[in-house]
Formats: sequence, C-alpha cells, structure tokens
Amino acid sequence: MSVHTGREPGPRPSRLDPPTLPRRDFLGLAAVGSAAAALFFALLGMLRLPKAAVLPSPSRKFRVALPESLADGEAFIPPGRSVALFRHRGQVRAISTVCTHLGCIVKPDAGGFHCPCHGSRFDRAGEVQKGPAPAALPWLEVRDAGGGVYVVDAGKTVPPAPLEQA
Amino acid sequence: MAGALRVRASKHLLLWSSLGTLALLGWAAYAENRLQEWRVAQRAYRQALPEDRRAEFAVQLRQVVVPALDVADRCVSCHVGMAAGESGLPGDPLFAAHPDVAHDPGSFGCTVCHGGQGRATSRADAHGDVSHWPGPMIPAADAFAGCGSCHTHLEVPRQDLLERGHALFERHDCLACHRVEERGGTQRPGDAGGMEGPDLSRAGAAGPLPDWHASHLRRLEQELETAAGGPWQSSFAPLPPEERALVDIYLRSRVGAPGLVESKALFHSLGCRGCHPVNGVGGDDGPDLTRMGQRDPGQLDFTGVEGKHTLDGWLREHFRAPGRVVPGSQMPDLALSEEEIDRLTFYMLSLRRTEVPEAFWPADRIRAERFGQREFATDGATLYGTFCAACHGPVGEGMRYPGMPAFPAIAQPAFLAVAGDEFLRQTIAHGRPGRRMPAWADREGGLRPEEIDAVIAHLREMSGVPPPPPDPRPRRWVQADPAAGAPLFAAHCSGCHGPAGGGGEGPALANRALQAAATDTYFYETIRRGRHGTAMPGFSSPSPSRGTLAPDEIESIVAFIRLWEDTP
Amino acid sequence: MSSSRPLVAAASTTALGRFLENLRRLPERFTASVSRGGAPTTDRTRSGFIFGNVFLHLHPVRVHRWSLRWSTTWGLGIASFSAFAVTLITGVLLMFYYKPYPDVAYQSIKDIHFVVPTGRFIRNIHRWAGNVMVICVLAHMARTFFTASYRPPREFNWVVGMGLLVITLGLAFTGYLLPWDQLAFWAITIGANIAQSPREVTDALGVTAWFDPGGLQKLLLLGSEEVGAEALIRFYLLHVMILPLALAALLAVHFWRVRKDGGLTRPEDADLRVGPGEGITPVFTDEPHKTYHLAAVVPGRSPAVGRGPERTLPSMPHLLYAELAVFMLTIFVCLALAITLDAPLKELANPAVPENPAKAPWYFLGLQELVSFSAFMGGIGIPAIVVLGLALIPYLDRERAGTGEWFGGPGGGRLVAFSAAFGLGAVLAVEAVAIGLGWIREWWPEAPQLLITVLNPGTLLTLLYALFSVAMVRRHDSTRAGALALFTCFLCGFIVLTVIGSYFRGPNWDFYWSPAMWPGH
Repeated sequence: MSVHTGREPGPRPSRLDPPTLPRRDFLGLAAVGSAAAALFFALLGMLRLPKAAVLPSPSRKFRVALPESLADGEAFIPPGRSVALFRHRGQVRAISTVCTHLGCIVKPDAGGFHCPCHGSRFDRAGEVQKGPAPAALPWLEVRDAGGGVYVVDAGKTVPPAPLEQA
Repeated sequence: MAGALRVRASKHLLLWSSLGTLALLGWAAYAENRLQEWRVAQRAYRQALPEDRRAEFAVQLRQVVVPALDVADRCVSCHVGMAAGESGLPGDPLFAAHPDVAHDPGSFGCTVCHGGQGRATSRADAHGDVSHWPGPMIPAADAFAGCGSCHTHLEVPRQDLLERGHALFERHDCLACHRVEERGGTQRPGDAGGMEGPDLSRAGAAGPLPDWHASHLRRLEQELETAAGGPWQSSFAPLPPEERALVDIYLRSRVGAPGLVESKALFHSLGCRGCHPVNGVGGDDGPDLTRMGQRDPGQLDFTGVEGKHTLDGWLREHFRAPGRVVPGSQMPDLALSEEEIDRLTFYMLSLRRTEVPEAFWPADRIRAERFGQREFATDGATLYGTFCAACHGPVGEGMRYPGMPAFPAIAQPAFLAVAGDEFLRQTIAHGRPGRRMPAWADREGGLRPEEIDAVIAHLREMSGVPPPPPDPRPRRWVQADPAAGAPLFAAHCSGCHGPAGGGGEGPALANRALQAAATDTYFYETIRRGRHGTAMPGFSSPSPSRGTLAPDEIESIVAFIRLWEDTP
Repeated sequence: MSSSRPLVAAASTTALGRFLENLRRLPERFTASVSRGGAPTTDRTRSGFIFGNVFLHLHPVRVHRWSLRWSTTWGLGIASFSAFAVTLITGVLLMFYYKPYPDVAYQSIKDIHFVVPTGRFIRNIHRWAGNVMVICVLAHMARTFFTASYRPPREFNWVVGMGLLVITLGLAFTGYLLPWDQLAFWAITIGANIAQSPREVTDALGVTAWFDPGGLQKLLLLGSEEVGAEALIRFYLLHVMILPLALAALLAVHFWRVRKDGGLTRPEDADLRVGPGEGITPVFTDEPHKTYHLAAVVPGRSPAVGRGPERTLPSMPHLLYAELAVFMLTIFVCLALAITLDAPLKELANPAVPENPAKAPWYFLGLQELVSFSAFMGGIGIPAIVVLGLALIPYLDRERAGTGEWFGGPGGGRLVAFSAAFGLGAVLAVEAVAIGLGWIREWWPEAPQLLITVLNPGTLLTLLYALFSVAMVRRHDSTRAGALALFTCFLCGFIVLTVIGSYFRGPNWDFYWSPAMWPGH
C-alpha cells in the first residue's frame, strides 16, 4: 500500500482525509539528523568505557628462593604462582603450569604434567602427549639474582629445554 | 500558522542543541585522546627513541601493581624510562631510568617511597600538589626520606663516633679506590674495566661486614711482591684497632640511604625524644612525631610561614622559630644552624611509618617491634643525647630558654658531689611531678634500668666527679625541731623556693618525687655547699649580704623541709 | 535482474528458489516490518507513528495548541525525565568499575577519574545530570503549583509527583556517599544522625528506652552504629536498585495519569484564547455526530467527547520536536557542565578527622541550616510538615478559578510578589536574630531541650508563614490565595536558607560573609 496524493475534494475536510505535508523539511531532517549523530557519537564514547585501559594484574616478574633440599629434576611451585621451577644440571628452569587448553593449572607428576580438567598430558619437556591441549607448556625466563634467589619473568618465554632424567 | 512557527522554533532548538552536544562530545574525545599529559609525554618519548624501536613502542597507560602493598602506580605512564620493559633515555630527566637503589621499583611501586598520588595520571595530581590530596611527593632533594616508610626503626650509631668514623674513612683515602654515595672510586687503568675497589654505598645493608682489614693486608703483601707499588702501596696502610672499629661503625651505617643515618643521629644528639615520642619511645610533653612526615600540608597552619605551603617548608620555618609557626608552642628555640635544620627536616620527612604487611618489614623494624631492641645506640652518651640534651644541655650545663624556667645543670660538679647515684636513679626514674622532668621509668616508652645506669655513668664521665662516698646514715637521720626551721626557711629560702616550697626561681621542694629521692644528707649538703653557677649559695660560707648558718640551723631547716614529705 | 541470474529466476518456482527469493528481499522486508504505518507524511500515518510505537504511544495523537506554548510548561517535566535518563545510562556505565567497599570505593572512583576510558567525563555527567534533575524536578513542581495544575482530576498525579520529588532527593543523597571521600562520609554521618533525631523528642519525653523510632531509622539506614561498609552497601543498593526501580514505577504512573487526566491543564477558555489558527484542520466538526466506542466503555471523564472543535495539532511533529529539543538541550547542559567542572572528590574518608564544615549536598543545605537549630525539627519535623502540606494542597484547594494560568487564582501575580516579599523578609529577619543574638540556649543555658525543639527559628518561621497564609485566605476569601502565599513563602525560605547554608556558613557552622574569611585557609 503506497502512501501518496493530497487531500481529496470534499465539502468538509476531516482528520480522515488529511493533507500531505511538505515532503522536503530540510530543517527537520537536519535537526533530527544531528540529534541522531550526537546520540550515536555519545554511544560510541560510552562503548569505549567497558574496555579497561589498565589491568589490575601485578607484574608477572617475581623473585623466588629455591629450597636447599630441592633435588635435581624435582618440581618446586612457589606459593601463589602458576610456575614450576626445576634444578637441572646446576641451572634453574621454569615452566608455566597453566594448561594451554582452557587455563586450568596442571600438576607435575612422574612423567611430566597432567591437567585435572580435561585430561591433557604433557611430558617433562612440556610437549603435549594426549588430550585436547593445542600447544606445549611454555618455558619461562629465569635469571639468577645471586644468593640463591632467582627472578622469574612469566611474561617472557624461552625455547623449550627438555629435562632428561640425569 | 502559529503551530508551524512553533514547530520551527522547536526544530531550531533541537538542531542547535544537538550540534552543541556534538561539538562538546568532539572536544571531549579530542581532549581524552590527544591532550592528556601522559599521552603527550609518551609521544615525546617515542620520538626520542631510535628509529628502529619506535614502531614497537605503543602509547598506552603503564603502571606498577603490587597488590600486597595496595599499590597501583601510574607514575611510569609519564616516566616511561622506568616502566617495565622500557629503557631510560639518558639526558632527559623525565625519561631517565630509575637510579640504582636498594629496592627494585618494579616490585615495590613508586609511591611507597616517594609519596604522591600513584593512581593519578596528570602531573599535578600525581605529584600531589593539589588540594584534597594529603600525601604530596617528598621533595627530590630529600628523596631518601622515603626509606622511612618501611625502615621505621633504622638503627643509628652514636653521632660523634659516626662522624669520627667518616672522617677516618676520608682521611685514610679509602675513596681512592672505593665509591661511596656517588663519591670517589677509580676506574681500573687500561681495559681491565670496573672499579679499583667495590662500591661501599650499601656495605651496611649487605649483611655482616667481612674482615676487610685482614684481607686488605694480605692483598697488600701480594701486591708488594708482584708489582712494585700501585695504588695499594700509596693508599692502604694498616689501621690501629680503635680506628678500625670507628670505620666499621661508619661502614655499617652505609645502608643505601645517604644522609638519613646522619640526620637521625643528629636528632638523637639534640635530646628531642625528651619531649617527643617516636615509635612509642620518648617523653610526652611534645607532639608524637611517629608520622610527622605524613602530615597533610592542607591541615597545617601556614600563617607564620613564608614561601611555598609544603610540609618541608613548614618544618624548616618551625625549626627556625617554633613559636612563630605554632603560637603558644612549648618547644624552645634551639638556635640550630641551617645545615642542622636541613637535616632535621629531612629526618622529620622520613617519619612516615606506612602500614605495610609484616612480610615487608625490614629486619631492624622486627627487632625493634617484636624484640624490643632500640633503634638508637644504647651507650650513655647517645641515651643522654637522645633524651636529656635538649633541657639539660649537650654537656649537662643546664639551659635557659626565653619564657621558660631554667633547666638544672645536672653535670655540675657541685651537684654531682652531693647527689648519689641512687638519688639520680630515683630522679630519672620518677621525674619531678608538676615540672617538665618526666618519670622515665614509670612509663611505656621510657628508659630501662640499665639505660638509666648508663646515663648516670655518662653524667659522671662528663663531669669527672665520682659518686659521693656511701652514706652510713639512714635516709632520714635529721632529728631537729622543724618549728625552729620554719623562721629560718622563711628568712633564707622562701625567696627562691617559695614560702610553701612551691618553687619559683629555685626548684620546688614540696615535691613528692624529690622528697622521696633525696636523703637528709643530700638536703644538708646542698644547703651547706650551695650550687655553683646557680642562685643557690653555700650557707656555710659567709657572704656580704647574709651570715652563715650553723650545722644545727641547717638541720632544723632540713627537718622543716621534710614536713612536706610527711604531710604532702 | 532475473535475466542476469537465470538460476534464481528458474528456481523461483521451487521451494529452494522461493527461499533464495526471500533471502534477496530480506533487507527490504525487514525495513518495512520495523515501522507499522510507513512514513509519517499524512495526519493518518502520523497518528500511526505515535500509537504504533511502544515508546511513543504514551503520547496523545493530537495535542492542544495551548499545551504547545513554551510558557505552559517550559519543558520542565521532559527536562527532568531527560536528566533522569542521562543519570541512568551514565550510572549503569559507572557500575562497570565502581566497587562498593570502603577505601576500595574511593580508589575505584580515582581509577574512573584517571584511567577508565571516558570515565572522568561520564562521572562528571552523572554528577551534574543528578543536580540538573533535582533543579528541574523542583522547578517542575513550582510550575505545576503556580499554574494550579494540581486541581481535579489531577490531584493524585500531584501526590505521585511529590513521591517522585522525594525519591529524586533520595537518589541524589544516596549517591553522595558512594565516592567514600571526606565530603561523602561526613555528609552521610550527619544525614544518618538526622534520621536518628526523633530521639531529641523521645529523650525529652523519657520514652526512648521502649519507643525509639529515631534509632530504628538510623539502624535501618546504616546497618550499624557508624557509617561503614554496611552503610555503603545499603546506600549502594538504594542508589542503583531500589530507588531507581521505585522512580521508574512512579514515573510510569505519573506519565500515564498525565494522559488519562486529560493532558496538560489549560484554562476553560483556552480554545478561545488560542483561536482557530490558520490552516488547521479541526478534528471534530462543530456538531459531533460520531461517538467513540472507547469513550462509551471507559467510565469517568472522557477527554474529547462532547466538546466543540478542538484547537489541536498532531503530536507528530509538533509535540515530538519540542520534546526532542528539550531532551537534547538537557543533554547539552549536562555535558557543558561536565566538561567545565570536575565532580568533587576530596580526601579518602577518615572517621577520625571530621570535615569542618561538613556540608550536605546543596539542596539539603537549607535543611542543614534548620538542623543547626534543632536536629529533629529541621531534619524531620519541618520537612515532614512541608511534604505533607504540599501533598494535601489539591484536596484542600477545591476552587476552579485560575486553573492553567500562571499565578492563577484570586490575588494572582500581585499576591505572589507580596508573599515573596513577606517570605524573604521573614526568613532574613529570623536568621538575622538567630545569627546576631543567638537563640534560647544562649540566653538561658538551662532551657529544656523540648522547648528548643518546639520553639526555634525553623518552627518560628513555619509559624509566621502559616499565619501569613491564613491572613491571605481571609483577605482574598480564597483557599487558593492562601496556598499561593504559603507556597511562595516556603519557596523563598528554601532559597534563602540554602544560600545561607551554602555560602555564609563556615567551620563550626559559624556565620561568615564569605568563604575567604574562614579561619585556617
């Protein structure tokens, strides 16, 4: 049903037989258009708000002192961190314990690591052996700060360093 | 067409309101994305980077987050050179890397040491130079005062030993090889690299001092065998043991906070704790200074202070003339030198005592708070300097401050010759109620018995007067008639000590603590011999203005004075 | 088109072809389905535009030309609603980052100010839109009163409006605590103790031990003895949930009743006064020969039936443009304020160091001035009398004269001007005495508290205004004249007390000619 034509002739105009409006209302269009533009622009600004500019997460670099009694190849997990540290032939290595599948924390065991959530298994080098995990566990940068203290940077990965049984 | 006109007006209003809104939104977006100070700073930083590193540098907010300390410091959004993963640009103070300090700023944040408003991202807000921010930054010149936030109980040695140790260190030319607080040290010749000797700026913080003297001697012998001379021969020679001990004191105080130990040692030589408690130790006549460095400048009265309205400005002016800055202040004008004022201001700024989890407490704070160890040396000289010197003078000569009653000269030989150690102990322990002398043993934060003994020993040492021989008589041996003493007291004593012994120019005798501490011998001998250097004459020797008192007259006066002990 | 795509054309007879055809026409059909009536180009489609839209159908299809005059309402109702909409949207956005727990709350506001994208601007808008809303609501109430628009059949809507006013003030007040700064903490401490002030009376009567409405009120408000985490979460709940929901519910009733009570008030002779208008098509013929089914089944007064030709215009575009214009103007004002003035944020709340002076938000400073004489009378007694008195106006003034006219009724503008003069004079005189000479406590230190509660500058002022109003009722032989006098007096009192509380009261609530004379600054 198309809308067109003006008033029909008749003795008494009424609401049911209305006149057409002038079609070209530039002022009205400009006014409504600028209002819509302003509201749209405001909406864009408001949509920026939920994406935080800074995250409250602390520095991923931390210091850790290894216990004297830690045997070669035995995992040490500093409290509150999802990183496992090993002594290996006089060096110290760190590997992330965050499962690459969906972020659960893997547990070290005799053969490597296993994830309790969906059954992924990783060998001692962090490589996936079975389960849904798509990638190997990353090895992290460790710096010797002297005095038995090491600085682990969980934000920096290093090439995998397999831990062979000595 | 009134209706059409009206709708036209509405459309105009709508159009212009909308356009105005659009313009405001546009300006707000521009200001937020282009004009923010940290963005301007980071763009300048990126421009100053080498070409190849510009691309990987993103202009974004940066911060240091330390949840345990409740720290989220955005300072590194402008001071980009100190941000994680960035390197400083030398030459530009804004973009420089953080100087090497004892603690990694990345694990402690910025505001813990420097103060200011870490959450802010504009210069004035972040530096705290705005209203409604109680903790502005510590001025850069006094930056190491920030150590006091956690190191509340930094141990300080005796001031004069520290100064002598420092002087010896300089005199023996240790700075020829070693670097201390940006001074001294020599680069090794040739391409050997490094310094001739290690940097000793933090020798005291690195654990126990090694036996440096023995190892230096061994090295000296080796050097003399292999090479002929070198710096070892010209710079090092064996030190006598007492000098070694003084150098050790100096080295132990090198903890990476230049100036702080010296300032604190000065504070503990001027007797400030005699009135002011710090960390719960000290008198209670003056305000508690434990958190003086955290006072909100917005809450201070600056009517008597010229210049900038900052805490350090207020403190400096206050040390120059306490009464002008705090009307009615009971603090005497100590006539300090400008250098001393700078140091005391520095120490005051360091009195911060921020609430931090115990895991962050330094060892000396734990030793002090948990095991009761003093943060100052506990030899008699330091204790005297810490608690007594402000009123009784640096060498016990007594002080007269304008508008205050005179403070007694306690190292005076005439006094120490009649005052036995027990009298001194009682006096220090229980004070003089009603006067400014506090009871040091009766209160928390006072002196411990062995410390009181050390102070007494120090008094004896200063004056060179040994304790009087033990008195075989009981404390109250005078048997005379007090009625006979009354007119004598009225004639000879009441002028200075008051008709009812309430004191005036002379001390109050009707004082319970004095009566309890003093023996009859003490009163008797004091009346007989008098006090040199005070208005108290010796009544056994004649003077032009009055006659002498016979021993029985003195005894009757003592008996009269003793009435105040029996019926206080 | 079909020739270029024979596959589609050929397939159009099959179901798959029809599906593809549907897919092709999807944008066009979707666009057509959004609007029920098509473009609003004729009066008929414009009517459809209004009643076919869920958001607009609360509007009448046609609106009287009297209602379209600027001076009828000055758009204050729409402005209030617009400011509410702005606070609602910005408030929801702020909730992304705000954490209602002491100290953390303050830090989250600092974060919103410094690092949240657009956060500072959004918070400023929220703050100023809240203030704009309070001003508009108060002005809207004054407009409604002065045009005598509370009269039957609109009595109940006036009462609903009073409820909206109270909720608006409640929203503003509860929002005041959330930043957890010194300003907030001490204003709320004072507010909570005002809630407790009925104890002033119960203590004086010695019945507090078993009848303590004041203590109960404070306990309900704070959830504790002091302002703390419990109070903060309660204020947060009130601010973001209970009060906005209550406001929205009452707002729906308010709008609905505006429609059902016959739109905006207009004088009996409004038709004559606006004239027929050029080129306007009357809706009704002079002799109506048509009944409306709806009118027949709905009891009560019907808005249209039985009248002569109306001087109405279609709401679309006349009313909608006006409303949209006011909406955008309100947004513009809020944004302009937000861009020039930062919302205040003082030091972190410190229960050990009171703010001096601790001032409530400005719209409560008039009350705080009265509270400084008697906590109960200033904080509860007089406000309760005022709100109750205002709510009862439409039931006590049953006259018809002046309905829909500014300052309508016996006495008119002259009476309002005279009342304003009296109202200003009385409040200034009472304040001058209280500030210059003190009050009963200063003259007679042992005066019983009950005496001061009953007789203080606030109650004296209320009494003066009431007596003046009674005199005006007698003089003009009209309850409307009394109402006009009373309302004008209270409005002047409110303004003067607010100004005194804002600008002339300093530390210890002492009088100062300017804030520059406050000590210690």
